[in-house]
Amino acid sequence: MTTTDSPVSAERSRRQLPSRREVWSGRSPFVQGLVMLAPAVLIYAVFAFYPMLDVIHLSFLKWNGLTDNRPFVGFNNYVQIFTADPVFWVAFRNVVIWTSLSIVIPPMIGFSLALGLNQPLPGRNPLRAVYYLPVIIAPIAVATMWRWMYDPFSGLFNQILTGIGMPGLILDWLGDRNVALYSMFAASVWQSVGFSMVLFLAGLQGVSQTLLEAARIDGAGRFGSFRYVTLPALRSTVTIVLILSLINSLKAFDLVYGMTGGGPAQSTQMLAMWSYTQAMQLGNFGNGSAISVVLLLVTLVIVVPYLRWTLRREDASA
Amino acid sequence: MKRFLIGAVLVTASIAALSSAAQAQDLQLWALTLADSTSSAAWQKVISDFEAANPGVTVTYTGRGTDEHKAALRVAANSDQAPDIFFSWGGLGLGGEFIKSGLAVDMTKYYDQYKWKDRFLPAALTFATQYPGGTFGVPSSFRGEALYYNKAAFEKAGITAPPTTWAELDADADKLVASGIAPIAFGGTVNWHVMRMLDAALEAECGAAKHDALTATKAKWTDEPCATAAFVEFHKWTSKYFLKPFMGIDDSQAFNLYTAGKAAMLLEGDWLVNRLSDAGKLDSTGVFPIPTGTGRLYGFGDYYYISSKSKYPDLAAKFLDFLTSTDEQVANPGLYGAISVNKAVKSTATTPLALAWNKIFADAAGLYVNGDQAFPLDITTEYWRIQNEVASDTLDPTAAAGELQKFIDAHPVN
Amino acid sequence: MNALAAPFRLAGSSRIDPPLVILWACLILLALVWVVPFVFILFTALKSQSDIMGGNPFGLPVSPQWQNFAHAWVRGNFSTTTFNSVFITVIKVPLGILISAMAAYSLARIPWRGQRLLFLLIVFGTMIPFQVMLAPIFGVVNGFHLINTYVGVILPYLAFGVPYQVFILYGFFKDVPRELSEAAQIDGASHFTIFWRIFLPVSLPVLAALLILDFVATWNEFAMALVILQAKGMWTLPLGLMSFQSQFSSNYGELNSAIVMTVLPAIIVYLIFQRYFVSGLTTGAIKE
Repeated sequence: MTTTDSPVSAERSRRQLPSRREVWSGRSPFVQGLVMLAPAVLIYAVFAFYPMLDVIHLSFLKWNGLTDNRPFVGFNNYVQIFTADPVFWVAFRNVVIWTSLSIVIPPMIGFSLALGLNQPLPGRNPLRAVYYLPVIIAPIAVATMWRWMYDPFSGLFNQILTGIGMPGLILDWLGDRNVALYSMFAASVWQSVGFSMVLFLAGLQGVSQTLLEAARIDGAGRFGSFRYVTLPALRSTVTIVLILSLINSLKAFDLVYGMTGGGPAQSTQMLAMWSYTQAMQLGNFGNGSAISVVLLLVTLVIVVPYLRWTLRREDASA
Repeated sequence: MKRFLIGAVLVTASIAALSSAAQAQDLQLWALTLADSTSSAAWQKVISDFEAANPGVTVTYTGRGTDEHKAALRVAANSDQAPDIFFSWGGLGLGGEFIKSGLAVDMTKYYDQYKWKDRFLPAALTFATQYPGGTFGVPSSFRGEALYYNKAAFEKAGITAPPTTWAELDADADKLVASGIAPIAFGGTVNWHVMRMLDAALEAECGAAKHDALTATKAKWTDEPCATAAFVEFHKWTSKYFLKPFMGIDDSQAFNLYTAGKAAMLLEGDWLVNRLSDAGKLDSTGVFPIPTGTGRLYGFGDYYYISSKSKYPDLAAKFLDFLTSTDEQVANPGLYGAISVNKAVKSTATTPLALAWNKIFADAAGLYVNGDQAFPLDITTEYWRIQNEVASDTLDPTAAAGELQKFIDAHPVN
Repeated sequence: MNALAAPFRLAGSSRIDPPLVILWACLILLALVWVVPFVFILFTALKSQSDIMGGNPFGLPVSPQWQNFAHAWVRGNFSTTTFNSVFITVIKVPLGILISAMAAYSLARIPWRGQRLLFLLIVFGTMIPFQVMLAPIFGVVNGFHLINTYVGVILPYLAFGVPYQVFILYGFFKDVPRELSEAAQIDGASHFTIFWRIFLPVSLPVLAALLILDFVATWNEFAMALVILQAKGMWTLPLGLMSFQSQFSSNYGELNSAIVMTVLPAIIVYLIFQRYFVSGLTTGAIKE
């Protein structure tokens, strides 16, 4: 409730800006907004954003993590990773493949599952739990499990293929560099579908039942109501899932770490994994940070325009 | 709100607890996970004995997985949270990193005080003195690697005695192939396993002096024809004699394949004796040193270093002395593998395999270390990459030496 | 329990809908395939070491080794690690969602000039894998003398949870119709009241989803805990798993038992909170 004791403050209130009295009394929306923002922003700034800046800073230094001496080397690290590092470009290419696959396949499957499990089917709660189960298991455990399944001698897939009489299809799932990345991707699909399924399910709850009912009464079949009611209502969910899938796949780490360690012969390396390897295992924090910065830039270049486009669209339709 | 209060109370309490504990002397030791109950029991006994003999002192052993230990140490070593004693492998790229960064205490005075030069195996001591600036670290364990073989498979292939020269080894491998069994099994995902074959080939082709010069990057890989010969020989083994496929499995799987009778040999270390015993394969397995022709043992050592950030270096040294003393080592054989680093400790081995190992250790005329111990870390990674490319037939073995040298030239060892 | 009054029937009809039945059958088939790896963990958890190494890794356990669980409990120090994991998670997860929701509300509903930029800066936080930031994070936490403390690990966890939670909630909050909040504003409610009384209840499905996702992420987090929680008495469940893998061998039976025991609480939390995804409970309050 705003008191209007002068034309100026009336005008300010109308424009939703705080009047001077409101600001000082702490009741202005602006101050409230600040108070609500503060805890998250402060903690994030100190414990996440500052380390990020530190990483960017490190990318211009040479450091092995053990000494106090961290000489400035300018762009030397970047030059090194771009020109003198045989693995960097392999990792880059793998990230491109991995990401392209990850923003299409798991969300599609997750979406289909969410739609299917939103229907009146018996036992859908246990079914949802089953599909979500892989997300719950620690990534290292997932990696170990799938490594066993892919074992070229006694692995599950080999046993099945032999059992149905098609041993010719047996490949060295994790040892053949042409196949290894995709074998890992199968494990990644298994693990990440539940993530998008859960988000889509939540989004589906926001689809207006009234509208659906109206559409049905008007004679729209199941596809019609899907297309004209459900899908538009899910727009922001789709954006969220796509962007998060994109960002998460660019950061792929745990599965690579557990399943191949980047092998065979560094052919399944990815940027996040290679960055970690450089810093923690090779003791080259300069290079490791430079790789992270490249990853960040790539992510920014892809995500920011998309974000701004959707934000602008939402503002327009709001 | 309540949670904040609880959190605040807990923080205060833990700070109080930590500061009061600081008055007692607390040694922190970081090492690897203890493999079994024998070693855990041994360590617990040593620690409680030491604490009893030194009232007011507590010793805490924190064990982590291999890579996790490396990560935790790298992050903490240069801070006030560094442990007093830390475990690391003795090689240049591993323990050497800490020494060169000034994070390990020079222990010359402790060596004099406790007369450690007389206590430890000479081979184990080599790593302590290879760095300028003093003597660093105390040997923790000493491991050797050799070739294990399935006696029945050898018999079936018509091999009457284990090979003593590399040529005989090649010939025996052919015989095994002819008799229908893969000569040897390796796990390709853990790079350091397949690496052992390459190291052996280098030793056999180049001899002791050149091999050392190459791994110290003092000799150029492109200048020495034996280096290329070694890669070619290595490739011959990976294509003809390795059980395939191997690039996608690890060393544990290779072991399983051996025990399942799918391969005739394994290039493994003395630690395998216990695993063979658990798998019931002790009697059917024999061991012979890798016939490189130089007589040197293939092995490595790991070490305990005292951190330069430690508040109690003297106490740490005292503990290390206690740990490696003859009395403690004899009383707690769970502390060591095949042999103790303390040369006065007689092996309690009784099984033929363990006795064979004693002979291998005793007969060794020198030592050459695993490649990943000899090189600094970045060269090790490239070494592995090239080795794996050759093993996967994607790099011509004759070009391998050149690739490696190119990298070495771009990343000189200083 | 959401008893389905009319399974297989589309809304407004009383006939069983064949496509739905086929869909159901397919979902069940897929679910069986989906569950195979997990069944594998369970089987391995019940086998002895020699059984795993020698026999068929995917066969049924010959004689179930229930003692694997008991041994794993002791060896992995489960009593301590479970307590630590529970303590950290129970504090961090609700707290994290609360502060993220407040921030998201503020960004979505209270207009001021730097908003867009701040939002982008927060979303940046989703883009760098934190595994590469371990050394800087250690430095910051150590600077506050918080190594080896619960607070020292909860704060970075909160910090890394904020970006994606704010991002998701921002999207959902933006979709809440203005009419709802405007009515309350006219009545003089503060933003916090609107947030607490209107936005939170209406976003229950999303909040439940985030709670589950965040619980799992915190429960399974490894790298930061490794670096910040150094004393064994402070280790969380994932760190305890290291006790089963030594330099030269792994005890797979006990390791898998440990994995099963680690997964169970997360499953229970999921089962408790997933009911909020059931349509019908939150009857279209948003778009009426």
